[in-house]
Parts: sequence; structure tokens; C-alpha cells
Amino acid sequence: MLVPMAKVEIIGHRDRLDVTLHLLHGLRTIQLIDVTSTPGVRLPPLTADEKQLRELEELRYLRTRLDAVLGMVPTPEGVGRSEVQPADLQALRAELEELGPELELLTRRLDDLQTEQQALPRYLESLRRLLPLVPELTQLGGYETAALLIESRHADVLGDLNTEMTEVAGDLYEIITAQVDRDTIGAILVFRREVARKVHALLGRIQVSRVRLPERFEGMPFRQALASMERRISALPGEIEKAHRTITDLVEPRRVWWATRSAIDARLDELDAIRRVGTTHHAFVAVGWVPEPDLPDLHSALEAEVGPQVMMEQIATEPDEEPPILLRNPSPVRPFEFLVRLLSLPGYNTIDPTRLMFVFLPLFFGIMLGDIVYGLFALALSLWVGRRFGARSPAMRDLSRVLVYSSIWSVIWGAIYGEFLGNLGHELFGMKPIWINREEAIQPLLLFALAVGAIHMTLGLLLGLWEAARLKQRSALIERMGRLAALMGLFLLAGVASNQLPVGLMTPAVAAVVLGLVGLMYVQGWLGILIGPLEMISTFGNVLSYLRLAAIGLASVYLARVANELGAAGPIWVGVIIASLIHALNLALGIFSPTIQALRLHYVEFFGTFYESGGRAFRPFGSATPAPPRTSSA
Amino acid sequence: MELGLIAIGAGLAVGLGALATGIAQARIGSAGIGAITEKPELLGRVILLIALPETLVILGFAVAAMVMILLPG
Repeated sequence: MLVPMAKVEIIGHRDRLDVTLHLLHGLRTIQLIDVTSTPGVRLPPLTADEKQLRELEELRYLRTRLDAVLGMVPTPEGVGRSEVQPADLQALRAELEELGPELELLTRRLDDLQTEQQALPRYLESLRRLLPLVPELTQLGGYETAALLIESRHADVLGDLNTEMTEVAGDLYEIITAQVDRDTIGAILVFRREVARKVHALLGRIQVSRVRLPERFEGMPFRQALASMERRISALPGEIEKAHRTITDLVEPRRVWWATRSAIDARLDELDAIRRVGTTHHAFVAVGWVPEPDLPDLHSALEAEVGPQVMMEQIATEPDEEPPILLRNPSPVRPFEFLVRLLSLPGYNTIDPTRLMFVFLPLFFGIMLGDIVYGLFALALSLWVGRRFGARSPAMRDLSRVLVYSSIWSVIWGAIYGEFLGNLGHELFGMKPIWINREEAIQPLLLFALAVGAIHMTLGLLLGLWEAARLKQRSALIERMGRLAALMGLFLLAGVASNQLPVGLMTPAVAAVVLGLVGLMYVQGWLGILIGPLEMISTFGNVLSYLRLAAIGLASVYLARVANELGAAGPIWVGVIIASLIHALNLALGIFSPTIQALRLHYVEFFGTFYESGGRAFRPFGSATPAPPRTSSA
Repeated sequence: MELGLIAIGAGLAVGLGALATGIAQARIGSAGIGAITEKPELLGRVILLIALPETLVILGFAVAAMVMILLPG
């Protein structure tokens, strides 16, 4: 059901603005409208005073610091929101400032460790490639080594290096080279420690890429560096974990911080709302949308908490104003609101299709996936999904509930068609259908699908008629009447043509089609001569579209039969495996496809007859932050 | 022989419809995914658009069913 909205004006003494905004934020029942942009109310906006500006600044600062700290650890569940007093904020600031440097240090250490974890394996790889070149001799004292990697196409650098090294170190040096991979030559330079400085300067001058080890491994002989690097790599995850734990240990005991952050957000919201409030010398004026059923509660809450200095009254809605949309349905129906929202919200003062979807969508699903076993599996799956993911994701919870209803219908239709894993029930224990066996009675099944389509479409058109009449939309009224008449006429014609109806109905049938066609042409103006007949054909096509109720189901029946027959063909254990695999595939398709098809039948065929979309969602002031804690006065 | 031709006709009715649906859905699908990436709230409308061409194969199925049921008799 679409909740009717009231536009209200709250007027009060400026001293009471803070209390009023705090109350409204907590109640979450009013969507504030910017007074400056509201036609009919012309007031300058209220600007925050100096004290409020200071508070705003302080809160924004704390919010940023808190975000930085809380971002380091995962948000614990069920933190909610606390009431915060100015003294608490001062304490928080002090605590943040005290903890800040320590946390910063820890974060930096964590960053370093993580960088090291990424970089070390690359060093290790270079070292491993060079290792076969390193002579054991270098581990003796008095000598130093430098490792170089040279691109093969620049191999001539080595000649230059040799010449220059002779100049620097005389005979007391050695260059060992080898191809380490297709594009790279590895070179190890061994030289006396006395000439180290000159060699380093030389290596800096000529263009070779030197394998430089991280600080902690510098100066170590190669083999030792390699070994200690390997040890380091295996130790790093532990150290990172430890650093994480230290941060978590520091932050987690301050669970209250999450609640405080929500409280800060709430207060920032309130301060932000001040801009949307109009002002005179002594009074403030706030305007907003309130769901009509919630008006009395809001009224009494204002009276009790803020007092007589503030009053609320309902004001007239401007003609071009569109109130926000709030859907409110009984709890079994509520999951279907998600599916309506998935398309787009209905316009204000139009029909909320949620309850109709609650009736028809699971029914259509059941008609398509009518199988007792598949239905039970789908039921178990949807219950599991609801329990496993429902708490975290509202969309998953809604979807799983929709699937629960759908799979119950699936079991019921399974009994009606006599299907138990396809024809297995019939083969094993002679199960009989209550109505028809889909596999054999294709014609009745198709007629049934068409009948369901005709009923659904007629219902939609009747709703559309009612809505058009209520909203006094003349052309929509004529168009829907035309479609309905044409549809009825075509069905009568089909009945007469197939000898199901008396020939006497032929004249009324033709008359209805012609009348409908004229109606459809009339509303389109001159173009109607072309568009009218097209509209009529598409309406008829929409009914034919319900044949998918039969077609999707038949595909599933045949696939189940294939599974059973393949299963029976070979040895029993191979058969069971093959049959289970095909049935599992069929079930997966059988859950996905009917859901999409049932949705489509609603979105395209059914909604096309009456649905007016384009509503904006109702977003009450305060809904962006967690609910405030319950106090005795609330 | 005649029954064979009827079966081929029915098969063509569904098959060609399915092919056309597939071609249309391929284009709508890729465009739709692009749209969802930019604006996730369009999901519902994109599902609707992707499901639209399925009418083709359903109409093909309707023709096939009519051919199979009405012609042999």
C-alpha cells in the first residue's frame, strides 16, 4: 500500500530548534524539504551561528580521525549508536590524540612490512638467478662482491667495465658472467675491499642495473643473504599478523567508538539540516513530508519533548509537487516491495502492485517449476540462503522469502502435475497427477497458460481503468477500455472459430474488436490509424506471452525425463551419478529461469496495463544513521 | 514423410525464434551491463529489457505448438 503523505510545517521559537531537530532526527518520520526551495513558503534560510560552526568543525575533525582509526579494523556487528555529551567528545579527542601517534607508528610499521612482503620475492628471484655464478672464495674476508644484471643486447658494456676495472683495481679483480635467462646476462664482480669505494663510484657511472639488496641484507655474502631472505619471507606473515593484532587490540576494546561515530554522524546531520530551515527574527520554520498515519505520534512527541513553544500544522500541497513514496505492507508481503523497487517506485497516488505480486509471482513460479522434489530442494535452499545471508543483506533476505513462497507453490503444482523428479514418481511408485500430466496433455496446458494470461491481463486492465477513472485521465481511460474490448472480442472470436462458443457470439465479438480498435486509434490522434492496430496486436501478443508458463515448464519436464532415462541406461551407480548431475542442472535452471520469467510477466505484460512509475523514495531525516539508543522517555 | 516435414517446421519455428532472441539479447545484454556498471539502480529495468526479446521465441513456440497439434489431425 502507498502511504498517503502529509506536508507539514513546524514553527517554533529559535531557542527550541536544536531540541526539535534532535527529536525529529531520532523519530525518523519526516523528510525535510528545503524551505528556501519550497513554493508557498518564502523565508531566508537559517545560517549556523558561531557556536554551531565551532561544533561543526570539531565534529568533522573527530569524524575524520575516527574514520582513519576505525578503518584499520573490521566493523564489529551490532554496534548501534550512543548518546554523546560534549564531555564525551572532549574525552574522545584526548584519547584520540594520545593514541594517535602510537597508532600511526603501528600503521606505518604494518605498511613497511606489507611493502617488504611484496618486494622480497622479487629480490630473491634475482639472487637465485645469480647464485650459480658466485664463487665460494668471496666468503673469505678481504673481498667484496657486486651483482649486476645486464640486458643481453647491451652486452658490450661488459668490455668497457673490464677496461675501467683494470684501471681502478689493477689485476686484483674478477668478473664472472653467465646468461641467466634469454634477455639477461648476470655478472658478479669480485674485488678487494680496499678499492670498494672506487668500484662503487665506477658502477654508479656506467649504465648497468645493479642488484641492490634491501638494507638489512647489505654487506652479507650472497648465500647468506639468500638464506636469511628466505627466512625473512617465511617470518613476514607472522609479523604482519602480529602488527594487525596489536592494532586490533588497541582499537577493539573501544567498541564504543563505533557508536560514537554514529552519534557524531547524527549530530552532523542535525547541524546540516539547519540550512534547510527557514527563519524569521525569533522563529524557525521547518517544512517536510510525514506519512499521514504517523502524524498523531509526531504531534504528541513534539508536544511532550519540545513543549508548547513549537507547533505543527498540515499545509496544502502545491499542484506540481510530488510527495515522496513510502510502501507499507503486511510483513508476509513486504519482501515483494524489493521487486517493485527493483523496477522503479510507483508514482504518488497510483496503485502499489506489491500485494498483487505477492499473489501472482509465486503462483507463476509454481506453474512453471511444478515438481515436488525440485520444489522441496528450492525450499530448503531458500531457507538456508535466508538464514545464512539474510542478516547481512536485506536484498538477500527478501529474495529468499520470495523464493520460499515460490517453492511452496512449486510443490503444490508438482502434486497437481504428478511430478516427482520429472516422471520418476510415476515410474517408481505409479504416482498419478491430480489434474494433468504436462508431458502428454500439452494442449490443455497451453490453453491453461493462455487463460492465466487472459485473467492476469484483464485484471491489470481493470485496475488501469479504475485508476484512470479515479485520476480523471481521459485518454488513458479510453485506451485501456479499447484494449480490454479488443482483447475480449479476440477471445470470443477465437472461441467461436474453434467451435467452443456458439456462432451467435460472432457479431458481438467483431463489434468489440472494432470498438476497441477505434478507441485505441482515437487516443493516438492521426497517427492512431497506424498505431491503433499495432497496439491491439501487441496486447494480444502480451497474452500469448503467458505461453511461457507452459513452455518453460515443459523444457524442465523433458530435461528431467532425459536425466531419468540416461540414469536408467547404464549400471546403477553410474546412472545415479549422471541422473543427479542432470537433475542438479535442471534444478539450477529451474530456479533461475522461472524467477526471471515470472518477473518479466509482471514488469512487461502486467505492469504495462496499469503501472505508473516514477516515484521518489521517502527518506526520512535521520534514516542515514543507526537508530538512537532507546531511552526511558522514548 | 508429411509428419517429418511438420516436425521440421515446428523445429524451425522455435529454433529461428530462439536465434533471433539470442541475437537481440546479446546486444541488449552488453549494453545493459554497461548501464548497470554506471548506475546499479537500473538493474530492474535492464532485466526487463533483456527479457523483452524472449517474446520472439515464445511466439515461435506458439507457432510450433499449433503446427504440431493442429496439422496432424
